[in-house]
Amino acid sequence: MRDVYILGVGTTPCGRFPEKGAHILGREAAWAAIQDAEINPRDIEIVFCGHVYQGMGVGQRTLKEIGLVGQPVINVEGACGSGTLAFWESWRSIAYGQFDIALALGVENLSKVLSGGPLPLDEEDIEVALGMGMPALYAMRAQRYMQEYGVTSEQLAKVVVKSRKHAAMNPIAQYRKEITIEEVLDSPMIADPLTRNQCCPVGDASAAAVLCSGDLVKKLAKKQPVKVLGCVAQSGKYASAEKLTCDPSENVTRTSRLAYEMAGLGPEDMDLAEIHDAFSIAEMIVCEALGFCEKGAGFRLIDEERTSLGGDIVVNPSGGLLSRGHPVGATGLLQTAEIVWHLRGEAGDRQVEGANVGIIETMGGAQPAMDGITCVVSILGT
Amino acid sequence: MSEDTKEEIYRPDLFVTDGSGTRLVGGCCKKCSYHTFPKYFACPNCFSDEIEDVLLNPIGKLHAFTIVRRSMPDYPVPYGLGLVDFPTNFPSAVRVMAQIESKDLENLQTETDMKIVIGAVRKNKDGGDIKSYKFARS
Repeated sequence: MRDVYILGVGTTPCGRFPEKGAHILGREAAWAAIQDAEINPRDIEIVFCGHVYQGMGVGQRTLKEIGLVGQPVINVEGACGSGTLAFWESWRSIAYGQFDIALALGVENLSKVLSGGPLPLDEEDIEVALGMGMPALYAMRAQRYMQEYGVTSEQLAKVVVKSRKHAAMNPIAQYRKEITIEEVLDSPMIADPLTRNQCCPVGDASAAAVLCSGDLVKKLAKKQPVKVLGCVAQSGKYASAEKLTCDPSENVTRTSRLAYEMAGLGPEDMDLAEIHDAFSIAEMIVCEALGFCEKGAGFRLIDEERTSLGGDIVVNPSGGLLSRGHPVGATGLLQTAEIVWHLRGEAGDRQVEGANVGIIETMGGAQPAMDGITCVVSILGT
Repeated sequence: MSEDTKEEIYRPDLFVTDGSGTRLVGGCCKKCSYHTFPKYFACPNCFSDEIEDVLLNPIGKLHAFTIVRRSMPDYPVPYGLGLVDFPTNFPSAVRVMAQIESKDLENLQTETDMKIVIGAVRKNKDGGDIKSYKFARS
């Protein structure tokens, strides 16, 4: 297996851009990544484009705007993990020697699909047909978790307070205004115990990364290249009542263990993390699954501010899905760009000092009696 | 709502009602007796494709719940939604998600015994009820 590096990243801001189609957002991010990498666009040999709701041929529709035609374009769908699944595809196409330079792209314009409320899900899914949306699913996870581990609503709200504080320093974040525990808890209840401010917003954005092989990195890199130390994609297993609670922790645990193994590192080596906090409860569950603390201790990381800027394992310095935003297919590459900026020392006011290794976790979708659809974990280092 | 609005049932294949009440129809592997809900095409435990219908235990225990206050169009809110574990001989329980029928959603508690009832889960395009299986306190 060959070494793979990230040469450049680019993103649009996150927000509501109903007038900008996915291909308009996508061309901006793809072009920014190519400019950041300082390569000739013609050298890109393959593109993987992650999205969920953007229709047929969105990758090709986007890339024709910037002259990138002819080379293979693969559109990738893996629910909320689509962006990082496109990154994983790009990584493996280089790691296993088929190509030398790839573009990983994620695009989503959700404003064109819905004005607000829960994501539209497939009604062939019996749980969806019976009234399950993603907020309701996470609400049940939260209810059980709070009961099992004695966690309070205020502790859940602190996840959002930290998220907004970080996002206030992120120029591309969708929600950049700081918030109090009271404001989080006083926002309208969506599904008990989750209030609106504990749910990620509907938003639009695109993000991209240019990857290249270790063989070419010395020749091509104009800036500090970032090495992909580990990159693993998995899908959910059957979630049985015997073994699991109703949370995605088995999938995240399994995927991250494989990524740590590939990198030859452990959770204690991570300086920062960008994780899938679609709802406040998710950050606690995912921190535990990634091994940052024991099961049931995720709320203590928040209470002790260990995951805040200045802490020993900074989680979601971007503001995460809750505040930077969650334009579903673009999310994984927004997370990737954030880690790259920190590793290069380009993250401005929210820079994690001395960041050498960062981890990215994306979790996608739900299925009856399954532990999520997609999970992708990447570990990046300088 | 027009007078000829017909009552619709969602997935009537997933439950049966007789004199003693309503039970969910799951799958049971003929080779290893692993239970699932709903019935799958092949057994998740041993990959046998010889799966037969099985009636799940009439009573399960509430594992987790929420009160949904904002939902998708056609779903009148608020409504209860829960996960209930129905005991089987293998695996130890099958976990099922459905709405909860209750006039007292605020006082739900986990580990409560729940049965299956038939009730409205959403509206059709004419405003009529679509009914299906739901949980209720036993």
